[in-house]
Amino acid sequence: MHTEEARRLPAPLAYGALLALIAAAATLAISSGAYPVTLQDLARMISGGVPNDATAQFVLWEVRLPRLLLGLLTGAALAVSGALLQGLFRNPLADPGLIGVSSGAALAAVAVIVLGGSGLAGWTALTGRWALPLAAFIGGTLTTLLAWRIAHRQGQTNVALLLLAGIAINAIAVAGTGLLTYHADDNALRSLTFWTMGSLAHAQWQDVWLAGPWMLATLVIAPLLARPLDAFLLGEPVAGHLGYSTAWVKRSAILLVALGVGAAVAVTGLIGFVGLVVPHLLRQLFGAGHRILLPACALGGGALLVLADCLARVIVAPAELPIGLVTALLGGPFFLALLMRNRFS
Amino acid sequence: MRLIATLFFAFAMTTAQAEESRVISADGAITETIVALGAGAQLAGVDTTSHYPPEVIAELPKVGYLRALPVEGILSLKPTRLITTEEAGPEQTLEQIAAAGVDVVRLPVVRDVTSALARIRRVGELVGQQDEAKRLTRDIAEEVDTLKQSMVQKPPARVLILLAAGDHGVMLGGKDTAADALLLSLGLQSALPDVTGFKPASREALLASNPDAIVIAEARPGQFRPEQWPELTQLRAWRQGNRVTANAMMLLGFGPRLAEAFQTVAAIVPDETVISDAASETHAH
Repeated sequence: MHTEEARRLPAPLAYGALLALIAAAATLAISSGAYPVTLQDLARMISGGVPNDATAQFVLWEVRLPRLLLGLLTGAALAVSGALLQGLFRNPLADPGLIGVSSGAALAAVAVIVLGGSGLAGWTALTGRWALPLAAFIGGTLTTLLAWRIAHRQGQTNVALLLLAGIAINAIAVAGTGLLTYHADDNALRSLTFWTMGSLAHAQWQDVWLAGPWMLATLVIAPLLARPLDAFLLGEPVAGHLGYSTAWVKRSAILLVALGVGAAVAVTGLIGFVGLVVPHLLRQLFGAGHRILLPACALGGGALLVLADCLARVIVAPAELPIGLVTALLGGPFFLALLMRNRFS
Repeated sequence: MRLIATLFFAFAMTTAQAEESRVISADGAITETIVALGAGAQLAGVDTTSHYPPEVIAELPKVGYLRALPVEGILSLKPTRLITTEEAGPEQTLEQIAAAGVDVVRLPVVRDVTSALARIRRVGELVGQQDEAKRLTRDIAEEVDTLKQSMVQKPPARVLILLAAGDHGVMLGGKDTAADALLLSLGLQSALPDVTGFKPASREALLASNPDAIVIAEARPGQFRPEQWPELTQLRAWRQGNRVTANAMMLLGFGPRLAEAFQTVAAIVPDETVISDAASETHAH
């Protein structure tokens, strides 16, 4: 079992490297894309001036910047949530999908896509353009809270039961999504396929304002759980003996994951692998101590997703690849390589 | 001298206007229409539902699927206008593209002859080819009328429309689809009146439908493989040759090839005698 001493890089160096990575990713994200923006224009706009090309200004402020911020927040929220759950379950294979956030959000989102014009017309009329993100957010958080409620007995949360409840609820949600998919017409089918592959392409300031606070809350509050989660690594009873309220830790961690991932999924769709791979990777580099790991995940997850998004928008320009496709394509082989290296060393 | 100067100026203006008009079309039928009206040179990009005519499409940048349009990708092609349908999306993207100064035109979804002709005229206005649009719509209307009159003599046949597209396998065209609209426009009936939308084909339902004619709409040539559908080849309509396989966009797009679509379907609808046989056969069951 890793302990605080086992971490491989000193904290200042680790954060320094990650901040440099974020700065590089942000620079790349601001300067790359299908629309050609000259470096002079970019420099002029950032210093508050007016560029030669009015559309370039629009692309920078209304397209790339909200997209960058949403990418940073989403990547960070997914990675931190993954780290929280991996700590809670004491299992490096845990990811936010495990406790039903993704499948619940997907079920609600697909329901809006397929039934938005018929069965759920009232909901879409009420919520307008936010019908889908709101439904996904509510679906994701409710599903998670349901799993938690099932696993919660006499003031204690049974982690194994939570896992099993999550699996069962996932199966039900996937079946419901399948039923809706069957009912869907061709257009809805294409839309929901795209949604399940995730995208930052449609990020707007409104999305940042709507989903950002929830994700930010997860990022800011999560480090408060670092010490109790370190104690959890030694086993739940030990954490209890060390004086931590394990019930409170579990409840807070699950709530943070539900809100953070629920908000992320609501505005970007399903983006896989970030929640699983980033904490795993950073644990290899910086050790398992959550005081380093959680902030590192926030920085690393954000940087990684923004880099993946840069790829997504230039590979097939002027069209775009769904970012979930990019993270899975890059994350999968990378994760395998990591496992192989560990096996042979 | 002054007259020449004015003329030259006017000419320069129209040329400049034509050069400045950069259109992105995000809909297969609209793209076809723009090209059919001789305005293909104005196209700056198309979406992935645009396939026809292939020699024009091959040269153009693709901006992705019309329900997942990219803001920056579209702006990077410096369009003056985006022509698409009400099915395009996401909403926010279209709003952003409009906010960036592009004229976003969303045309209604077309499911009948009258609105198909209206759409051609509207696209004609948008690309400055009104006269060409008038000529094209008149030709289509004439051909369609002739076909419809020839159909009047035939009793309403029951037609099965199959769609072989993408990775969804073979789908049955039911109610509320372009396939059903095509049949209705020709005074024909669906062989599967209980199916709504495009649904995966059930082999038994195919056998039970016992249609008078079979239309197979393919997204790409060779996408439908008859050897995988022995049920279909058992059907009387298949054996008697009352069947056709053709391009899905031509058949179901309600675009400028509308008359060709009508012609294709009308050609396989059998004569009265066969129909009455089929009717008695159906009643005997």
